Amino acid sequence: MKLMLRYIKRHTGMFFTAILFLTVETFADLLQPTFMSFIVDRGVKDQAPAAIYKYGLIMIGIALTGAFCAVMRNIYASRTSQQISREIRYDLYAKVQSLSFENIDRLNPPAIITRITNDVTQIQNFVNGIMRIMMKAPITCVGAVILIILQTPALFPLMLVILCVAGILIGCNMKFGYPRFGRMQRKLDKLNATSREFLSAVRVVKAFRAEEQEQQKFETASGEFAEAGIASMRVLAVFAPLINLTVNLGIVIMLFVSSHQPPDEIGKLMASVNYMTQVLFALGMVSNILNSAVRAVASSERVEEILQEEPAQRVEGSPETNRKKDYEIHGDIVFDNVSFAYANASRPAIERLSFHAGEGATVGIIGTTGSGKSTLVNLVPRFYDAPEGRVLIDGRDVTRIPVKALRDSIAVVPQKALLFTGTIAENLRWGDENASEKEIKEAAALACADSFIDTFAEGYDTVLGQGGVNLSGGQKQRLSIARAMLRKPKILILDDSTSALDAATEAKVLQGIRQAAQHMTVLLVSQRISTVMNADVILCMEDGVARGFGTHEELLGDCEPYRAIYASQIGEESSDRMKGGVEHG
Amino acid sequence: MDKNVVVPPSNMGRARGGPVEKPKNMKGTLYRLWQLTKGHRKGLGKILLLSGLASGSAVLSPYMIGRIVNLIDEGEPMLRLLGVLTALYAGDWFIRFSQQFLMASVGQRMILHIRISLFEHMKKLPLSFFDARQHGELMSRLTNDVDNISTTISDSMTQLLTYVFNILGIFIVMVCMSPVLTAVAMLAVLCIFILTKIVTRRTRVLFRRQQQLLGRLNGQVEESISGFNMVKAFNREEDMLRQFSQSNDAFCQVATRAQIWSGFLMPLTNVINNLNYVLIAIVSGVMASDGVITVGDISSFLLYSRQFTRPFVDIANIYNNFQTAVAGAERILEILDEETEPADRPDALPLEKIKGEVRFDGVSFGYRKDRMILDNVSLDIRAGTRVAVVGPTGAGKTTLINLLTRFYDVNKGRILLDGHDLRDYHMKDLRDAFGVVLQDTALFGVSIRENISYGRENIALEDVVKAAKAAGADSFIRKLPKGYDTVLSQGGAELSQGQRQLLTIARAVLSNSPIMILDEATSSVDTVTEHHIRRAILKLTEGRTSFIIAHRLSTIRDSDLIILICDGRIAEKGSHEELMKQNGQYAEMYRIQMGMKG
Repeated sequence: MKLMLRYIKRHTGMFFTAILFLTVETFADLLQPTFMSFIVDRGVKDQAPAAIYKYGLIMIGIALTGAFCAVMRNIYASRTSQQISREIRYDLYAKVQSLSFENIDRLNPPAIITRITNDVTQIQNFVNGIMRIMMKAPITCVGAVILIILQTPALFPLMLVILCVAGILIGCNMKFGYPRFGRMQRKLDKLNATSREFLSAVRVVKAFRAEEQEQQKFETASGEFAEAGIASMRVLAVFAPLINLTVNLGIVIMLFVSSHQPPDEIGKLMASVNYMTQVLFALGMVSNILNSAVRAVASSERVEEILQEEPAQRVEGSPETNRKKDYEIHGDIVFDNVSFAYANASRPAIERLSFHAGEGATVGIIGTTGSGKSTLVNLVPRFYDAPEGRVLIDGRDVTRIPVKALRDSIAVVPQKALLFTGTIAENLRWGDENASEKEIKEAAALACADSFIDTFAEGYDTVLGQGGVNLSGGQKQRLSIARAMLRKPKILILDDSTSALDAATEAKVLQGIRQAAQHMTVLLVSQRISTVMNADVILCMEDGVARGFGTHEELLGDCEPYRAIYASQIGEESSDRMKGGVEHG
Repeated sequence: MDKNVVVPPSNMGRARGGPVEKPKNMKGTLYRLWQLTKGHRKGLGKILLLSGLASGSAVLSPYMIGRIVNLIDEGEPMLRLLGVLTALYAGDWFIRFSQQFLMASVGQRMILHIRISLFEHMKKLPLSFFDARQHGELMSRLTNDVDNISTTISDSMTQLLTYVFNILGIFIVMVCMSPVLTAVAMLAVLCIFILTKIVTRRTRVLFRRQQQLLGRLNGQVEESISGFNMVKAFNREEDMLRQFSQSNDAFCQVATRAQIWSGFLMPLTNVINNLNYVLIAIVSGVMASDGVITVGDISSFLLYSRQFTRPFVDIANIYNNFQTAVAGAERILEILDEETEPADRPDALPLEKIKGEVRFDGVSFGYRKDRMILDNVSLDIRAGTRVAVVGPTGAGKTTLINLLTRFYDVNKGRILLDGHDLRDYHMKDLRDAFGVVLQDTALFGVSIRENISYGRENIALEDVVKAAKAAGADSFIRKLPKGYDTVLSQGGAELSQGQRQLLTIARAVLSNSPIMILDEATSSVDTVTEHHIRRAILKLTEGRTSFIIAHRLSTIRDSDLIILICDGRIAEKGSHEELMKQNGQYAEMYRIQMGMKG
C-alpha cells in the first residue's frame, strides 16, 4: 500500500483531479432519482406538464455534466495509472540492474521477471481502479444513503441496520473466503509443479514406464485443487446472495413504512427504492474492490521487496582511484588467502586460496566438479566479493577499484553462452562498441565463428532471437568467445567455454586465443587436461582448496589429484601410446 | 515463471473492448465441448433451470414494486402484495444461493474431469509431441485453458442465459405495460450498441499494438535477467536500462491510449442510461399526468430501464470471454486429437529372456521429413557387445538411442532385437528391456531413494543403496543431512550436475535391464568421478549389450566396438586399436583430444 501511495504522491494533482471528476460524476448519477421524484410529486401529481419539462431539462443537464466528468476522469485516471506503472517498472528495472549477483541469486530470477511484468500490471489495474469504480462505490453507497435519509428522515435507523448487516456479511465473506483462496493458490502452484515435473522429465517417465505413477500424482494434485476451488466458491455462494437479500428486505421494509406516509410524497418513495438498487449495486462492487485490493497489496509487497533490496556490494572504488579518470589495469592477479561461501551453502566454495597470476600469464585451472573453479574466477570481475582474504589486481584490492574500470578491462566467456536479441554484429559489439567491421570479422574468425556466420543469408546482420535461440550451443559459445576477444581485455576469463565444441574446433579456437592473448592474463578453466596442459602454470583445485600450482610436468610429478585426473583422461598405459602417436605424426 | 494466479472473482481487471481471441470453429468446438460434459449434464441442467428461475424473480420484482407503489398512491392496503414481494425476494435468495453452491461443485468437478482426461491423453503421446512444444505452453493448456472451459460452460453460459431470460421477460412485461415507453427504452439499447461498435473498432488496433509492445518489454526483462552476468561483465547496465526505458515509454504511451479509449465505454454507456432514465421520467410523467399510465408504472419502468440496458452492455463482454474460452478449448481439443504412441500390435510378442542381439537394417530417420539424420544405417551387434557411439555433435548419436527405445519410430528400414522388429514387441516390455541414462538428468521433487527407484514399486532400501554404491553415488548421498531420505527440489537443483548424473546412473543400475544405454552420461562429471563411473559401467555392462555415447574418447577406449557416426552414416567401426591402426577420422579425433599433435 505504502508503495502505491508513494507513487501516487508524485502525481497528486492528476490523481485528485481524477477523483474530483469521479465525485461529480457519481453525484450526477445520484441526483437523478431525486429530480425524478420532483417530476412525480410536482409534475404528475399536480398535473403540471411545465414542471415535468423543467425538471426533465435539469436532469438532462446533470446527465451531460456527468458525462463530461466521466470522460475527463477516464483520461486523467488512465494517464495517471499508466504513468505510475511506467515509473514503477522503470525503477524496478533500474534497481535490478544495480544489484549484484548475490541479490539476484536470493531474489530468484524467474520471480524477478514476474514482478516486473505481472505484479506491476496488477498494481496498475488497481490504481486505475481506485480512480474508476473503487472510489465510486463508497461515494454511491454513502451518497445514496444520505439522500434517502434527507428525503425520509424516518428511514435513518433502517438504513443504518442495512449497512451494518451488509458490512458484517462482507467482512465474513473476506474472513472465510481469503484463507480458502490462499489454499487454492497453493494447490494451483502444486498442480503446476507436478505438470512441469512431468513435462521436463517426460523422456525418463517414458523410459522407466512411470506413466501411471505420474498420472496418479497429477490426479492427486488436480483433485486437491478442485476441492480447494469448491470450498472457496462455496463461501461466495453463501454470502453474496445474503447481501442481496439484506438490501431487498430493506426495500420491503421501506415500502411497509411508507404505507403510512402521505400519498403526495409517492415520488420520494420511488426515489428511495431507486437509491436502494444503487446501494445494492455499490455493495456488490465493494466485495470486488476488496478482492482486488488484496491482490494489489500482495503485488506491491513483492515489488517493494525488490525496491528495498540493498545491493550486496559497494560498487564504487576508493576515493583516490575514483579521482583518477581512467583507471588503468595491467592484469597482475593475486589471490591472498581467499575464502568464499555462497548464501545458503553449508560449505565454503573456496577456502584459504592463494596464488599469483603474473601480467600476461596463462593460468589453467582444473579440478573436479564443485571444486570451486568457477567461483574463483567469479571473484575477479567482482561478480561476488570474498568476505575473507583479498583479491588483488596490480597490487590493489579489487573492492577498491572502480567496478566499471575493472570490468572494462576484463572479458568473461561463461560456461553457458548468453546472447541477446539483436544482430550478430550488435552482440559482438558488446565487446567493443566502436569496433569496425573488420575487427568484428577478425574476432569472429579467431573464434571459428566466421564459417557459420557466412552461411547465414544476412551474415553479421542476422537477427538473433531472445537468448540466441536460433543458434546451436556450439555456435553460441563461439560467438561468446568472439565477443570477449573483441574487447581486447587485460584479463581474459574462459570458464569452460569450449565445452560444446567438438575436439577439432576446440583445438583451433584455443590456438587462436593463445595467439591473440599474448599480452592478456588468461584464466582458463576446464575439466580437460588437454585444454590446460599448455598453460604457463596450472592451478589444480579440489573441494575448494588449491592442491597444486605449477607447470604440467611439475604437477605430474608431485600433485596427486592432478595425476588422478591425468590418468583418468589419458591413462598411464596410453601415455606411451601418446608419445608414439606424436612420433608418428 | 508462472502466470497463473488464483483470483477471487472480480470483473474489474479486464478492460472492456480488450483483445479477444477468436475461435476457429465455434460450432464444431461447442459440439465437442458438449460431449466433454458427459456425466455432468444433470448438474448443468439444474444450474440452467435455476438461472431461469432467478431471472423470473428479477423480472417480477420491479413489477410488484410498481403495484405496491400504486396501492400506496391510492391509499389502499398493500400488505398482501408486500407479503408476495417478500416471498419473491426470499425465493430469489434461495435460488441464487443454490445456483452458486451447485455451480461451485459442478464446475470444479467438470474441470477436474477434463483436466485428468487431458493428462491421461498427454502421457500417451509420443516424444515428438513434447519435443516440438514449449513446456510453458503445455502447462498453460493443463491449467488456464482447462479452467477457461469451465468458465465458458458454467459461468458464461448461465450468465448469457440469465441475460437472455431477463431481456425477454422484461421486454414482454414492458410492452404489456406501455409500448411507447418500451420504444424509449429500446432507444438507449440502440445507442449503446452503436457506441460499443465505434469504440471497439478503435481499441482493437490499440490493444493489438499494446500486446506487441508488452511482449517486447517482457522479452527484454527476461533476457537481461537471464543474461545478468554478461550485462555486468560487459558493463552494459546503462545500455540495457536505456533500451528498456525506450520500450517502457512506448508501451506506456500506447497502453494509455488503449485504456482511455476502452475506458470511454463504461461512462458513456452510463450517460446513455441516465439520459434514457430522464427520457422515461419525462415521457412517463407526461403520460401519467394524462392518466395513460399509473404512478406505479413509472416506478416499474424506471427500475426496468436500468435492468434492461445492463445486460446489453455486459453481453458483449461475456461473449468476448466466451470466445476466448472457446479458443482455449480448441487448443485442448487439439491435444486430444494428437495421435498417441502406436498401440501394440494385436499379435505383439512378449519380450522375455532377452539375449540382446541388435540389428539395424537399412534404417533411415529424420525428425523432419526433409532432413534425414540417419541415412540407411545397417549394423549388427552381437549379444553382450559393449558398443560406443562417437561422432561430432548433430551426427545422429542421440537419434540412435531415440530409435532403440522407440521414442521415435524409424522412417525406413527396421531395427531388430533378438531377431524381431522392435515394433513387434509390447512397448511395455521393450522399454523395460532398456536401462537408460539420458543426457538431461531428470530428477523429481521426492526423496533420493524414490528418485533412484523411480518407476518401480516396493524396492528395498538395501537394493537402492547397492545401486548407488555401484554408481559411485553412495558416498555423497551419505554426506547429505538426511542421506537417502533427503527430499530433492524439482530437478535436483541443490546437487551438482555431476551428482545428479550419478543418481540417474544409479537409477539405471537398479533397473537391471538386459540392455544399457548411456547417453553422454559422463559428460558433466569431473574426470575423477568419471573414472569411478567408468569402472561401475564396466561392471554394469558386463555380459550385457550396451550403448555408450560420449564426447570424451578416453571414456570409451575399452569398448568392444566403436562406431563413428558422421553425417548420418557409419563412417568407421571397430575396436579402439583397430581404428587407431586405420589412422582415419577416429584416430585424428583421439589424438587431438589427448592433446597430441596429429
